[in-house]
Parts: sequence; structure tokens; C-alpha cells
Amino acid sequence: MKTAFCFDLDGTVTKQEILPLISKEVELHEEISLLTQLTLDGLIPFQNSFKLRVKLLSTIAISTVAKVVDKVILDPHIIEFIHANRDDCYIVTGNLDVWVKELIQSKIKCNYFSSEAEYEEDRLIGVKKVLDKGKAVKELRTKYDRIVAIGDSMNDCTMFQKADIGVAFGGTHNPVNSLVKLSNFVTFDSQSLIRILQKYK
Amino acid sequence: MKIKNVVICAAGLGSRLGLDSPKCLVKLGKHRLIYYLLQILKDVENIRIVVGFKEEEVIEYVKGIREDVVFVRNPDYSTTSNSYSLYLGSHDLNEPFVTIDGDMIIDQENFQKFVDAIDINEDLIAVTEAKTEDAVFAKVDENNYITEFSRKPISKYEWSGVAYFANFKVSKDGQYIYQEIEPNLPIKSVQMECWEIDTPGDLDLVMNEVSHIF
Repeated sequence: MKTAFCFDLDGTVTKQEILPLISKEVELHEEISLLTQLTLDGLIPFQNSFKLRVKLLSTIAISTVAKVVDKVILDPHIIEFIHANRDDCYIVTGNLDVWVKELIQSKIKCNYFSSEAEYEEDRLIGVKKVLDKGKAVKELRTKYDRIVAIGDSMNDCTMFQKADIGVAFGGTHNPVNSLVKLSNFVTFDSQSLIRILQKYK
Repeated sequence: MKIKNVVICAAGLGSRLGLDSPKCLVKLGKHRLIYYLLQILKDVENIRIVVGFKEEEVIEYVKGIREDVVFVRNPDYSTTSNSYSLYLGSHDLNEPFVTIDGDMIIDQENFQKFVDAIDINEDLIAVTEAKTEDAVFAKVDENNYITEFSRKPISKYEWSGVAYFANFKVSKDGQYIYQEIEPNLPIKSVQMECWEIDTPGDLDLVMNEVSHIF
């Protein structure tokens, strides 16, 4: 049975939320952190919140963001699993391609689906497309018999709905309750998470 | 540790106890029941707890004790059996595992006796002196093999709810775990002292008889 593993990025593969980290570059850290928290808790829809956060951060040059993102701490156990199974591992992130592409390609080293930015050279203009994570899973259906999804937030719900197995992972913060209700497994430790994933390889 | 995997079934309503709380969260002394189970399992690498009724309360409490527990969800806990919960918790393991009901009290010494009796390639079932109201009696032969289960008092021992399965797969559609095991009898057994909390009477009994644990 051919299985794909779809990982959320922020707070799942990374041990920090990326947008609040970027916001340290401008003096909006508290505001972005608050918006991120409200989004994670499902109090504001991801689409709106994400566009707003991007707008607030759009004054920062894309290359500067890439440097910040490059320093984000990754979970070593998850990275090890992805490296060993890179052809069947996918990052499925609502984050912007121009911000996370470099991190995914150089350090995580697997396939990915992301939101798409509108930009001119080093300047971000806006969001061209916010990723529907459910659609990404649907796309993988043609290539795989089984899809395992790993995430923690409201915007992972559509991914869990379309996947066969859902693992709600509280590596950075508690997974939101709506996602827990769509999951088969819940765990807070990345070694335990990998122990589950190994069984579905 | 001889055991690598443990599956604790703690999804049920526990309606006979009459508390609006999962049985594994019943307060016994300073802590809740599941705390004492996790204490005797602290050297086990992979602990899975099947959760259902008030799962968020169980998850919240357990993660405060041990973060690396894997919670397996049984959202259909109110209409499915304990055997189905065990299926959910074990079907993808493909390795030997110990199963324990989430409403059990076992002390370290007795659990060690069970672990010592395990031969890693052979199924092993713990029996205990019959004391529960709806016991499943286990007939044990002179070589300590269980030859029969029955709801009738055919033996002084009952199926405890603790077993080591090396070769045994739990099916999806089973009703009771002992019925799942039945076609595979005879299976080796070991006697172990343990307590199960099903009714308020069981709770009183445990508080009086095994207060040393708490």
C-alpha cells in the first residue's frame, strides 16, 4: 500500500510559528502573535487572518524574510523521518511559497504545497492564492492508496477530512479541538508521532 | 524492559460506577486511577491509551503525567465494545503488546510478576481470584494453561483484563475480548492480584484493600 505523509509546517515540522518570528523584523510582534493565536484557536478564519498578516508583513523584503525563516527551529525527529522517506512526504502549508520555499528545499527536502504570493522582485505585493489543504490531499489521491495527515490547527481540518489517517500533533501548542475530533491519533511528542508514522509506511 | 507496547482501553462510559467521569479519572488518594497505571508502566517505551468518553479530560490529565503517550481515538465509544477499542489501539502495531483495562489497579510487585512470566514469543493471560460481580471465569489446567472461559463459576479464577499478545490479532467486530481470545485456547496464564473498578462497591473495596498503592 503506497502511503503519502502530509505535514503541516508551522508549529508541526517547525517548533515555532513562523509568522510571529518574521514579525520581529517590524515592530508588530505582539499584534501578529495575537492574530496567529486567534487563528490557531479557530476564532478568525485562516484565509482572512493570513491575508491580513501578510499585508502587515509585506513591507519586509522577501530576501529578509527568507533569512529569518532559515533560522527557524525544526523538529529533528520529524526531519529525520522526512529525509528517510522524502519521496512520499509532503509539506502542506498555508504559508507563502516565497517565504518558505528555501527552507523546505534546503532543509526539509521534500515535496510541498503552499499558498502563492504575488510579488515583484524582492517586494511582496499580496496573496495570489491561499492553499486549500483538502485540495492538496485530493490531488495526491491519484498517486497514493493511503494518505496520513499531521497537523495542529483549524486550517488542517480540510486536510484531515480528506485524509485516511489524521494525527493531531501538539508539539508546539495543543491541537485545536475541532482537529482532534477529526483525528485518529493525538500525541504531544515527536518521537511518539514518528512511532505512529512508521506503522503506516 | 521486556514489554515495548502497552494498550490501555479507557474509552468507555463506566456507567455502573455512576460518576460523570471516565473510570480512569476516578480519584484514588492523591491522584487519579490512570496515574497509578502509568507509574507501573514508566519503563515501557510505547504507551497507547484508547480514549472516547470525555477524551479531552483524559488527554489533558495524562499529558501532565507523561507527554509521550499516544492517544488513539474511539469516537464511537458509546455504541462499540471494549474489544473494538482494543482493535483500534492495536491493529496497526504488528508487534507484541500488553493490554490493560483502563479501570484497573495493579501494584508494582504484582505487575512485575506478570512481566517476569512473559515469554516474548507466547501469549500470556493474567487471571485473578474471582471477585467481580460479572466475572468471566477462567478454567486453568495443571500446567497453568487456560482451557475455557465461562460466565458460570467453573473456576476460582477470572479473566483479569490484562494480557500479553505475541501472536494474536484482535478483530474489528468482536464483542468481548475474552470471546476474541477463546478460539486460541489453550493459552498460558499467570495468577496476578489486581482490582477492577466497575461499581461503587469495587471502589470501596480498593480503598480498603490496597491503600498502600495510594
